[in-house]
Amino acid sequence: MRRFFSQNSLSLAFGGLFLLTLVGQAVSGVAAFNDQRLADGLEQISLLRYVTSSAFGVDVMENWQSEYLQFFLYILGTVWLIQLGSSESKKPGETGIETDKEQKVGRYATKDSPAWASAGGWRTSLFSRSLGLVMGTLFLLTWTASAISGWAAFNDEQLMSLEDPVTLLGYLAQGDFWSRTLQNWQSEMLAVGSMVIFSVYLRQRGSPESKPVGTPHAATGMTG
Amino acid sequence: MPPRRRGLATAAAAALLLSGCGGLDSDAVEKVATTFADHGTDAATRCQLLAENTLTSLVEDAGTACEEAIGDLPIGTGTPTAVEVWGEEAQVKLTDDTLFLTRTSSGWKVMAAACRPKAEEQPYDCQVEGS
Repeated sequence: MRRFFSQNSLSLAFGGLFLLTLVGQAVSGVAAFNDQRLADGLEQISLLRYVTSSAFGVDVMENWQSEYLQFFLYILGTVWLIQLGSSESKKPGETGIETDKEQKVGRYATKDSPAWASAGGWRTSLFSRSLGLVMGTLFLLTWTASAISGWAAFNDEQLMSLEDPVTLLGYLAQGDFWSRTLQNWQSEMLAVGSMVIFSVYLRQRGSPESKPVGTPHAATGMTG
Repeated sequence: MPPRRRGLATAAAAALLLSGCGGLDSDAVEKVATTFADHGTDAATRCQLLAENTLTSLVEDAGTACEEAIGDLPIGTGTPTAVEVWGEEAQVKLTDDTLFLTRTSSGWKVMAAACRPKAEEQPYDCQVEGS
């Protein structure tokens, strides 16, 4: 058991932090939500009611969708785009999907390669793109969930202000949807861009996200 | 269950969750709105169907008890033509009025009535509403 924890500490630590922060978001979110309801002369709601509400749903989904979009774009972008000196980038001349030999697929698969890497045909083709496909699918699903829960939350607010609810298409044309979407997208693009550039000139000793401390700034694609 | 039906069932479940268990809520909302809009309902019962904040405003504005004031207000008596439930709030359109309701611990209550539409994308002008 101890061995399991030490060998999976990275996923477990981030899984735990995710749950803690999600609970924190729910607790602080219901307080903010109820402050607003109190100001509007409406009855407050319970934590359970809040976490099953569209208001909580859209706040969670609008962030998830942008995270999955970030990784989807980064995974695909780094196949073709490079940044000289960045530990996050391939070396110049290595762009593209590379050869079967370099990727160890088909007849170049080794004994311990995943089964679908050596299977050939659609299975190898699918497995070769599975990371991007899953990230892209999760992005589309969470963005759709963000749109639907945002629509429901928006209509709740419309009724609170004694206005008519809108259709889903009407909501997609509202500033609320695009403001929620784009404010998250821009922050993700900033974070990725910063990481690419910072990793050229800055180091974090021992982290695989950084080059080894003594590596020259011009060295590309090296991790420590 | 065939995949297509399973997809439809999933979508229906999601829609129900988003609308706050739609059908059940719609029925409860419509029942409250119909009782409130029925001028044959006794005044005390109609006043009990008002949200606390709305009741307080009505009494303050009228300068008299709700039971005495409510009969003089231009609240519609028509039948419901549309019910919308979104989370904690709802709207019932009657043939001659629009009511707005809110979910409370003691059931759905009317937070605004005698509402007339103003310009498009503007709030309704309601003669009965909370402050």
